[in-house]
Amino acid sequence: MIIYVARRLWQSAFLIFGAITIVFLVLRVIPGDPASLILGSQATPEELEALRQEMGLSDPLPVQYVRHLGEVVRLDFGESWRLGGDAFAGVVERLPATLTLAGYALVLTLLIGFPLGVHAARHTGQLVDRLVSYLSLTGQALPSFWVGIMLVLIFSRMLDILPGTADGTPQALVLPAFTLALPFLGWLARLVRNGTLEELGKDYVRTARSKGLSERVVFNVHVLRNTLTPVVTVLGLVLGNFIADAVIIEQVFAWPGIGSLMVESIVNRDYAVAEAAIVLIAVFYIGLNLLVDVLYFYLDPRITLETV
Amino acid sequence: MVTTYNRRSFLKISSIGLASAYLAACSVGGGDRNAAEQALRAAFAQPINDLDPHGPSSVDESTLLAGRLIYDTLIRRNGDKLEPGVATSWEQTDPTTWVFTLRDDVTFHDGTPLTARDVKASLERVKEAGTAQSALWTSVSSVEATGDHALRITTEQPLGTMPVNLTLMFILPADKMDSEGFFRKPIGSGPFRVESFTPSDELELVAVDYWNGKPKLAKVTLPYIPETSSQITALRTGDLSILWPVPPDQLRELEGVDGIRLETVPSYVYYFNWFNCGREPFTDPRVRRAMWRAVDVAGIVKNLFGAGAEVMTAPVPSTVFGHAPQEPYAYDPDAAARELAEAGLGDGFRTSLMWFGDTGPLADGLAQAMISDWAKIGVTVEPQSLEKAEWLRRLNAKEFDMDLQTNTVTTGDADFTLGRLYDSEADRMGYRNPELDTILRQAHENSDRDRRSELYSRACKIIWEDAVGIFPAALISTYGLRDTIDGFEPAPSNQPDLRGVTLAT
Repeated sequence: MIIYVARRLWQSAFLIFGAITIVFLVLRVIPGDPASLILGSQATPEELEALRQEMGLSDPLPVQYVRHLGEVVRLDFGESWRLGGDAFAGVVERLPATLTLAGYALVLTLLIGFPLGVHAARHTGQLVDRLVSYLSLTGQALPSFWVGIMLVLIFSRMLDILPGTADGTPQALVLPAFTLALPFLGWLARLVRNGTLEELGKDYVRTARSKGLSERVVFNVHVLRNTLTPVVTVLGLVLGNFIADAVIIEQVFAWPGIGSLMVESIVNRDYAVAEAAIVLIAVFYIGLNLLVDVLYFYLDPRITLETV
Repeated sequence: MVTTYNRRSFLKISSIGLASAYLAACSVGGGDRNAAEQALRAAFAQPINDLDPHGPSSVDESTLLAGRLIYDTLIRRNGDKLEPGVATSWEQTDPTTWVFTLRDDVTFHDGTPLTARDVKASLERVKEAGTAQSALWTSVSSVEATGDHALRITTEQPLGTMPVNLTLMFILPADKMDSEGFFRKPIGSGPFRVESFTPSDELELVAVDYWNGKPKLAKVTLPYIPETSSQITALRTGDLSILWPVPPDQLRELEGVDGIRLETVPSYVYYFNWFNCGREPFTDPRVRRAMWRAVDVAGIVKNLFGAGAEVMTAPVPSTVFGHAPQEPYAYDPDAAARELAEAGLGDGFRTSLMWFGDTGPLADGLAQAMISDWAKIGVTVEPQSLEKAEWLRRLNAKEFDMDLQTNTVTTGDADFTLGRLYDSEADRMGYRNPELDTILRQAHENSDRDRRSELYSRACKIIWEDAVGIFPAALISTYGLRDTIDGFEPAPSNQPDLRGVTLAT
């Protein structure tokens, strides 16, 4: 077990290193640099050159890359030219907002998606089953920026019952969290439905029924528990996706998280902040994956190292 | 497969699930929305990234807006007049020396008095910062605090724009301004102090007992809302009390809405469409003028912007000092085609136009409208809609045929744009005219108002008649206000003074 975790950690380190490298290269290959954005449209070539020197942008890329790696190891991404101050601290400052949003969206996904899936499984082929099926497909197919704008239009502008932007009140969480949860909610409902159906057809259910257990006990005690295992393990991945999807949702709802910060920093060539944000998201995602794999052992004793 | 349904148990499971979802939704809804409305929430369309008034964002409208509320300047602008700020009086004792007398009752938010040493340190800091505002101060050779409340500034060449430039020079406390993290919660001497600040998200301000009139509001919050439709919604629902500038194409979303009124003022922001005068065929002024005549400027501005912009009559907006109205170029495609033929381009030509989408409202529409007008006289223009960083790179490298962009006369004085952009040495778009250079330099150095005004009127005429660019539209700033707002004065600089504003509850 320890060997397995160590091996996965080693692989994760490689992945993170890859992410750092790709982000570094992509940001520098796209045209335009921070010096021109700082000095604006009235800068002279001499001023630009002087500032590039000062910022270390005129050094050859490999030199910049090695220096960058050295800094990243110490979690020092440098200063943000746009926001002033340490870039990593600036990103960490925005992290709670994104985590709150993602966490709440996860709760919504579970509380709505799971019961819907179970209900659909118990009524296979009936109206409610097809309804859940259609709705979940629709939810997954609709682009979330569009859903977000529509929700703002309906619930904020027309009905005026929920704020459409982050105004500091807890209600402001409802619309962005729902928009974020919608595609995963349908996905979870279908996952639960199919999983439950599969379990219901298994021998142990027949055995349980034949020994006279009530349908309620068969279902609540035996079937549901087995359905839960795959659900719990995918939730980690869903949370990772939430953080990635937050990039779009945060723009629509003016949510002050790392997603909106990242978009602005890329547009403004604020390398330090963009790198800190992307690397943080990558580490988070990879960490969650690792956690899920480890959790698997504990939740399902039938899985052994050989089967992984 | 035997499936016996136990409806009750399933209804129970699902209803527990739904009920908990509902409860969760309600539990976060415990806050009191009215409590948030006690303070003024006002949103500017651009994010406040940095509160350092001398740093990389020093001429961003959003940083200037915050600076006006937090810091003081020696001199303030009021309409088209300059009036005393921290300086009670100033005098140009010889062409290169300016002497200022400072108020003795100004204190920073931490209680320490503001002295000439703070002004000296601030001016030296902005001069050395190497940012867009530093360019205003290159000719300053020394700043001396000759007493606690007396200051002398000497320059290498005469600097006639000294007083107007000083309206941008925010004063920071000398011994604190360089400390680590100062600009996360900076200390100024302005009407509001910073309560909290998250860059490009929200700035919270609290009123102080300001020497120049305590603000009537106790608290002001300036949130940034990136999405235009979300901004409009927030104003309509009362989540915001003030929103500006409202984009021209969104005006009808707010017109005639109960509880909202709109106030407008011509701004310092305008569009220009430069020709690269160093590139064929735009080296020929006849071609440039033909291009201008081919565009139905009045029609485009009216149809596209409506009440959101006015047709320009000079290379700077009408609100700017130095504006002198010129003869408009009448829309006449036939004359334009004839002029092209005279210049040897009777068969038309191919060229390109670059811009970036966020340069200003309706930039894409404006570019497309002009391109289709040019097509009518046989000029094929390739549209190049770029990302801002790439656009800037090409602009600075003069890699363009035509460039469409907005520009802001930040100081409200023609020197800020005409003096810096059209000088041969600055060489922004390949236009060289020694006569214009002389005029602009004289206007830059002179401090006599009437003389400067006359010089700029000559500069306007040359730039206009030589058609260095097309000057289509000056934007009108529209402020969307809730009816609960009183005492608000719309500002052409997009930096409203909030001291006199009250909020009815």
